[in-house]
Amino acid sequence: MRRQVLEALEEPACEHSTNENLKVCARPKPGQASGGCSFDGAQIALLPIADAAHLVHGPLGCSGNSWEGRGSLSSGPHLYQYGLTTDLKESEIIFGGEKKLREAIGEIMERFSPPAVFVYSTCVTALIGDDLEAICREETRKWGVPVIPVNSPGFVGSKNLGTRLAGETLFQYVIGTSDPPETTPYDINLIGEYNIAGEMWEIKELLDKVGIRILSRITGDGRFQEIRWAHHAKVNMVVCSRALINLARKMEEHYQIPYFEGSFYGAGETGSSLRKIAGLLKDRELERRVEELIQEEEKKLHRDLLQYRPVLKGKKVVLYTGGVKSWSVISALQELGMEVVAVGTNKSTQEDIARIKERVGADTELIDEGGSGSILKAVRSKKADMMIAGGRNMYVALKEKIPFLEINQERHTAYAGYTGLKRLAKHIAHTLSHPVWQLAHKKAPWCEGWADDR
Amino acid sequence: MAKNVEIKDHNTLFQSEEYMKSAEKKMEFEAPCSLEEVEDTAAYLKTEEYKEKNFAREALTINPAKACQPLGAVLAALGFEKTLPFVHGSQGCVAYFRSHFARHFKEPVPTVSTSMTEDAAVFGGLRNLIEGLENAVSLYKPDMVAVSTTCMAEVIGDDLQAFIETARNEGAISKSFPVPFANTPSFVGSHIVGYDSMMKSILSYLNGREGDGEKMAAEAAEKINVIPGFEPYTGNIREAKRILDLMDVRYTILGDHSDMLDSPANGEYRTYYGGTKLSDAAYASRGKGTIALQKYSTRKTAKYIEENWGHPFIAGPIPIGIRNTDALLMRISELTGKPIPQSLKDERGRVVDAMTDSHPYLQGKRVAMAGDPDLLLGLISLSLELGIEPVHILCTNGDKEFEEEAQRLLAESPYGLDGKVYVGKDLWHLRSLLLTDPVDFAIGSTFLKFAAKDANIPLVRVGFPIFDRHHMHRYPIIGYQGTLNLLSLMVNMVLERLDEEAPGHSFDVVR
Ligand code: SF4
Repeated sequence: MRRQVLEALEEPACEHSTNENLKVCARPKPGQASGGCSFDGAQIALLPIADAAHLVHGPLGCSGNSWEGRGSLSSGPHLYQYGLTTDLKESEIIFGGEKKLREAIGEIMERFSPPAVFVYSTCVTALIGDDLEAICREETRKWGVPVIPVNSPGFVGSKNLGTRLAGETLFQYVIGTSDPPETTPYDINLIGEYNIAGEMWEIKELLDKVGIRILSRITGDGRFQEIRWAHHAKVNMVVCSRALINLARKMEEHYQIPYFEGSFYGAGETGSSLRKIAGLLKDRELERRVEELIQEEEKKLHRDLLQYRPVLKGKKVVLYTGGVKSWSVISALQELGMEVVAVGTNKSTQEDIARIKERVGADTELIDEGGSGSILKAVRSKKADMMIAGGRNMYVALKEKIPFLEINQERHTAYAGYTGLKRLAKHIAHTLSHPVWQLAHKKAPWCEGWADDR
Repeated sequence: MAKNVEIKDHNTLFQSEEYMKSAEKKMEFEAPCSLEEVEDTAAYLKTEEYKEKNFAREALTINPAKACQPLGAVLAALGFEKTLPFVHGSQGCVAYFRSHFARHFKEPVPTVSTSMTEDAAVFGGLRNLIEGLENAVSLYKPDMVAVSTTCMAEVIGDDLQAFIETARNEGAISKSFPVPFANTPSFVGSHIVGYDSMMKSILSYLNGREGDGEKMAAEAAEKINVIPGFEPYTGNIREAKRILDLMDVRYTILGDHSDMLDSPANGEYRTYYGGTKLSDAAYASRGKGTIALQKYSTRKTAKYIEENWGHPFIAGPIPIGIRNTDALLMRISELTGKPIPQSLKDERGRVVDAMTDSHPYLQGKRVAMAGDPDLLLGLISLSLELGIEPVHILCTNGDKEFEEEAQRLLAESPYGLDGKVYVGKDLWHLRSLLLTDPVDFAIGSTFLKFAAKDANIPLVRVGFPIFDRHHMHRYPIIGYQGTLNLLSLMVNMVLERLDEEAPGHSFDVVR
């Protein structure tokens, strides 16, 4: 396990590896509010494989606390929604949890007959030294169904690292183990798209229109079987998140599948992603269809956005997604005529930060310290009109009566693609013009100077 | 706002022709089971045979209905003024706790971790704890830091007492800075045990700490203490205070997170809101007595107080329903010598009146419920008063003592005859029970929604966590007012269902 972790920490496609002082991804600082663990990251990346069983080997907390915490949707099977855990008790901590793990795997097989079982290690099972690899190997043999160890206990590091370890797992155990019934010259994989709020479905609608086929969804709304044959794709698109870049790189090395990083947030990014796919598929006719589609969609978009423009124009936003989406969402907001006055970068990689810088002006503040204090300071000093961030910061903003839009994994609205951008415009416009802000900023009638207190 | 642009979402997207077609193709490719097979399996799930198989399950937990110890410890700490909950372990657990509470209370939750990593796993977490304490104190400026552990620190066996001492000696925190701590491994017990351990730790730590202020001591002697227990309802703490005020009783709530987790939007976020004053906690032992509103989430605390504070201590039953609320008022009255005021007597009368209004619709309804032990005892008691039959009572974090107490309670009423108590079981067990032995509705947390949906019964959301409905925690479910709230939640759900299911000829207006 150590070797895998070190390798993931030193991912060569992650540019910090060229920086002597930043040999490995940053570690969290004790005593500060911090984000999820590696186990969390690994689970986030793999859980959307909807027909597989996801068994958390550890005490109850790791599974109980994360169970159903994300908005990845499935169009079919729902086994991924079950909170499955070995729920280790004290005696197993002392005598080891291997026996219970084997039994649990058996109970899953008999009850649900899944196409695969992912077994997640956690801090505790890594510490007590349960041999996950060996058990999974034996159980695979016993049941004739892949039982896959996910070695990413929480203490090895951050969420991003865990995602990367999940990528390693897919590469090592899943991809390349089966072949698709048919292939087409237009087969691509989406990597790192988790179908939050059904975003993937809208992306698929776009791709369908020009005849690009998603061969494997890695992993939003994914099925185990389709990921096994992912190595037959002609192009890999890494969607937004760099955390799974290692997977794309390895697939390029081993299977010569070219990859690129793109995003579907905003019309510009969506268009350029479509163009890149067509370009990499090296098909003139497809490129023509893509151009047509982009023009048509942009025309519609322009028309639909007209009514929101007056509300959105020139409004100042502080963007704090606490993750890697920052750069792509910036473009989307700018297309809506808004000004991004500050961006959170505390979880972005160097590359992400470079992309952020490409997109914003010199006086945009980069907030690199976590914690609500620094975000609020940015909102105040930049006189921002609203904040766009993840759930954990939402309630802080609301205490300060700052209009807020939730953008992270718990959201129920899809913001990807052209449709997503319209939806984003609509929601931001609604957020900004909601009457509650007038109410919130008016003093109560018995106060002195009864009027707006801003 | 101008008229909205029509934007279809995935609910409508799936109805479009292309999607329907591709779904058909996908069906072919995924080669799912035939409809017949699906129906057969569904029917099999309703059999006793499957239920038995399900209950024979030992190693695998499916859909657990409990949270871990440190989560409870964090909630206990949030009840004290300017106190920062600080969890010694790896970072992920704390991120989970924060989002759990944020999603339930819709509030920001200041809580930090020592972010232990692999090095700490090998060499111990001493450096993390010292550095963490130093950072946390300078960043969040607390008056107290309450340290609990996750399993990682427990497995490697970190010695909190010694570590905190070292932190003081090294000057990371001052000699006098209060740092109570509790060992809260998540592979033992559940969130209610963690709450209890931290509560006990804070109370014993603060006891007598502020020196012998005579004025403070004299004031404390006039008061009683109330401990809420693991309390997911800010409304319950406020309700307890309202009752005490109506009774003209002076009191200290020990662990009052009602302001912290239900703070006003005043335009400026602060890290800390309200909470029990540390000085009040320090003198609490001088009071007339202590009442814990819950019993199972305050066991260790109870033992500590009984052995050390030398004043009467009473725990539970949680004041849900008329009988339990009556008992609470009597106890307060006995402790303080204050009579029960007319206002509360009238309130009681009004709730009884409401119960008589609704009784025809609730009579004989069969329910399933899942939750923490104290809550369940309260809900059983209320159900029996309303003529509702509690049938399946599931308590993942219950023990033998709870089981016996619940059974005794059920045996007291003819409505309790069908009631069965399941401790240590999970929500997949409950699902089996709902399918083999159907009930009219379920009561419990958001996580019950899957089982309820499969059984096609409505869910009345009560307990922790409630993620998918707003503001439930702001309304009390204890006291007469809380009883009224629960009553109206239940009866209106029944009436709602009546309307939904009514054929045209019975779709009427008066009920
Ligand atoms: S940090 Fe460790 S114990 Fe906590 S949730 Fe993550 S894996 Fe589980």
